[in-house]
Order: sequence, then structure tokens, then C-alpha cells
Amino acid sequence: MNRRKLLSLLGMSPALLAGSRAEAQKTRTGKSAAPEEPKYQALNPKGTPPPVKLVPMAPRLDTIHGKTVYLVDTGFMGGGTLLQQMQAWFNQNMPDVTVVFRKKAGPYMEDDPPLWKEIKEKGNAAIMAIGH
Amino acid sequence: MGIPSAPMITKAFKDLAILNAAKRGMPHERICFTPHPVWGKTPDELRVYVDGPDPVSGKPLMKEIVDALTVPLSDDEKKSGIVSVSVGPPTFTDTADNLQEFYLNNGYTDFLPIILPTQEKVDAMLKGTGHKPDEVVGKMAAGAYPAWSYTVRQVAASAVMAGCRPEYFPIVLAIASSGVASLFSSTNSFAFAMIINGPIRDKLEFNYGIGALGPFAQPNATIGRAWTLMSKNLGNGGIPGDTYLGSLGNNLNYNNVVIAENEDASPWPPFHVQRGFKKEENVVSLFRGLGVVPGQVARGSSANENVQFDYQMSDLFSTFTGFFGALIIADPLVAIRLKEQGYDTKEKLIAWLYKNTTQTVKDYKSRNYAYLFEYPQALQGREPFATWYKLPDDAVIPHFPRPESFNIVVTGGQTNAYPQAGNLSYGVSVSIDKWM
Repeated sequence: MNRRKLLSLLGMSPALLAGSRAEAQKTRTGKSAAPEEPKYQALNPKGTPPPVKLVPMAPRLDTIHGKTVYLVDTGFMGGGTLLQQMQAWFNQNMPDVTVVFRKKAGPYMEDDPPLWKEIKEKGNAAIMAIGH
Repeated sequence: MGIPSAPMITKAFKDLAILNAAKRGMPHERICFTPHPVWGKTPDELRVYVDGPDPVSGKPLMKEIVDALTVPLSDDEKKSGIVSVSVGPPTFTDTADNLQEFYLNNGYTDFLPIILPTQEKVDAMLKGTGHKPDEVVGKMAAGAYPAWSYTVRQVAASAVMAGCRPEYFPIVLAIASSGVASLFSSTNSFAFAMIINGPIRDKLEFNYGIGALGPFAQPNATIGRAWTLMSKNLGNGGIPGDTYLGSLGNNLNYNNVVIAENEDASPWPPFHVQRGFKKEENVVSLFRGLGVVPGQVARGSSANENVQFDYQMSDLFSTFTGFFGALIIADPLVAIRLKEQGYDTKEKLIAWLYKNTTQTVKDYKSRNYAYLFEYPQALQGREPFATWYKLPDDAVIPHFPRPESFNIVVTGGQTNAYPQAGNLSYGVSVSIDKWM
């Protein structure tokens, strides 16, 4: 499924999707009611989702050459091994990129503000591997 | 972070990654994908992933990553502001058959027939509580997602759909107020359980006798089902690929493990009293974990004249992950015999089980949950994991991190002395009376 369709199913407003309409409001029964059948009004059982606060993405680098890139292992199985192979790829193919490997502290669902601070102070970009 | 980043995720989680990024404000986040899975692959196999294409875009993975970090942002990617999320109109009008089909097709059900939440039925349900229909009950999320909120009326719709009677509604509201969803996004296919305590068990005719955990009483069946429907509808859980990733799924999710405690037949204080409530209070207590296994499979369960239930339970727990606790579900015959064998309090039994349910460090380290959840904590110095990871492989350590990992509830009809055990951890106890 493409991104536009996925976001449409999420029910995001047209303002975000540049004209796409939430599908949740359409009935999809495909059957037309016989005239004699009584109709009922039933409640929409869904809860109330919070609005989405859009976060502008950080400006991109003009080039990755000569920059410092952090590879962050979030702790899912295999993620660290994959990133170490990526580190080897950078060493072979872009040796002027400084690559720093870090394993995020704590279980995968916990935040790691000290690491984010370090990356922002010492790095130019980050690649995060999120399992499985 | 304020610097460019490129999240890299395996292809199996494509929809989840895109949707979760959108829910958190980055609907156009530049996500790169690798083949699935990475777990269990050798370094050489993963090097093939790195050298190969992104399986979603078809472009070379490393080019995709470098582009994600360097290609200038589009106008959409720079957008800020607040956008609303629609779940459709407040009501739907159609014939009964068409509405059944509509609710099913839109993921509002558990794919079993429902009672349609008509205005009349919902109004009747609302008479089951003194709380106002528009009162906000709480928030619920089915994992690491932004939580959804809901009112008494919205809870009532799920209660009607599940087949609850209005007099059950305070229990459903108490569960809703906890914010605990019974469908969780993890790939582990979690199971959930609840213990019902207090006089309401008899007032509503819960079954805590023969077949206590089976489909033999309306409140046991429908209140458990309502929890799952609420998790889908109020917390937006249970959408495969989006808010639910359980690889195998869990049959217990249909109506969860609903345990009305057999308080009168138990030789020990009921569960809610252990948690600080008075015996006459009505309380629902919630658990989360991996599932329930029967005690008959354990060593020590032979029909000799002096069955060692303590040893039997300890053996049963040997395959459990200590990350979740152990919930002992004991038939009264088991509990009474344990008391006769010297365990005059639950605490004594728990102390024995904590001391005698052990494992070697080597076995501990080989466990999935130890690596995933406890090793990272050990690196941070959190106990007991930090100490455990420093011990030699042949050292013997407790199977569960602390005595509080164990919980005991008594239920069942005393037709035989069988326990069951859940690899389930205690979450929270909520007053039902507050929602009367």
C-alpha cells in the first residue's frame, strides 16, 4: 500500500493530504437496503484521536562527505550487526565519512536523551536501525 | 534531534513505520527499508542487505540512505501546524444487516456478530452508571502510539457491542479508566487477564465455580470481550500491520482471561485485599503477558498421595520469562492443600517459589527477553540484572527478578486439584464502585 493510501486510512485531514478524503466516513456495505427494511441509527464506536502536530524535518546536509554520521542501534535483535556492516560499507566506499556506532541505552522502548544530545553536539546526521 | 536522520526498518514493518511517523507529526519522513528479518542473520548475510536494494523503493539501500540525509526538503516536509484526524461521523444509519456488515468491514468488531450500538441500546447501557455520558473516562494506546481519549458514551457503545448488560457497565468503565488496552502492538502476541473481586461477583452472577475460565457465564464472557472491543475502538488497537504486530496472534484476545475469584472457597485473603482494598469493595485487577499453561504438564503433578503443588508450580514456571511475572490460578482444592502443607499465607508460598525457582546464568542469558529488555538495563547498572550479568555462567540465580513477580488467585469448581499458571504480570487494580 502506498503512503498516500495509508495516511488516508489513518483519517488525516485533507489539509495534510492535499485533497485526500478520509475513507473512514464512507460506508462499504455494497448492499442496497430493501425499502421495507427498518433502518437504525447506531453510534460510531471509535474513540477520539489526538490532533497531529506536524514536525518540520531538519534541514538536510549539502553533502555527507567529510561529515560525522552516528549509527544508532535501538536494541532490537540483529540491528547492531546490520549497522556494523553498514559501518564497514562506509569505510570502504566513503572513507571520508566519520562513522560512530552507538547502542542506545536501556530497552528499545526507552528514550535516551544523553545520546541525542551527544549526536546533536558531535554529529551531522544519524542513521537508526529499528528491528527486527 | 534537529539534525538529519534516516530511520531504517525492515520491510515487514513498512505500514507501521509510515503510519507511526505520521501520527507523530512526520507524514513524509524518509524511511529506508531492509529485507526482513535481520534477526538471526550472519554478518555476511546482512552485508548482502547493505549492498542490495531497498525492497520498498527498489533503489540501492545505501544510496537511499545518503539521499535521505542530503536531498533538500520538499515543502511538505517543512510543514508545521496542527492537523485533525477524522474517525467519521458520530452515527451511522442503515438496516441492521448493512450495519453489521459495515461495522465488520471497518474493523470495529472482533469479527464475531455484535449487538448493534443503537441509540436505544446505548441509552440503556448509560443507565448502568451515574456518570454523565460526555464525561471523559481516560486515554488508551495499543503500544507506543499517541493515546486516544473517550467518553462514557463511547465506552457504552463497545459495551453494547460486546453483549454486556447495563449492570455490567461499571466494570467496563473501570477497565476503560485504567487506560490499559488488551491488544498490544508487540510482535509477541500478548495475552491479557483480569481478576474480579468483591460482592459484585455474586450480584452479577459471575462464574467462579466449575469451568470458571470457560464460556459458561454472561459477565465473564461479555466483559472480557468488551475489553478487546474497547481496545480496538477506543484505543485504535488491533489493526494488523499498524497497531498490532503479533506474528501469531493470541486466541485469548477474543475475550481475555476473566477470573472471578472464588473468595469463599479460598483459604487465603482475596487478591484485592492484598492490594489494599477492603473485602466489601468491588475491584478489577489487570494483567499482561504471554499466556496461560495448565499445571497438569508439570513435574510433581502425578496423582500420588502427597502431591507437591509448590514443586509443581516451580517446575511450571521454568519455561516462563521472568520479564513477565507468574500468576498462579489455583483451584480451591490446590489452595486448601497448600495451606495444609504449611503455606498458611500467600506470602509464604511466594517466598518459597522465589527462592526455589532458579536457573543458571548461562540459561538466563540465552533467553530472548533477557537480551532484549534486561541486558540493556544491566548495562545501565539496574539491579538485579547488573549483578546477574557479572556472575559466571554456572552460577544459580532466581528465575524471576523479585518476589513481587508472583501473584496468586483462587478460582474454580473443585472437581479436581489442578492449577493453571499465567506468564502474566500484574498491572493495576481499579475500583469498580467509583463507576457505579
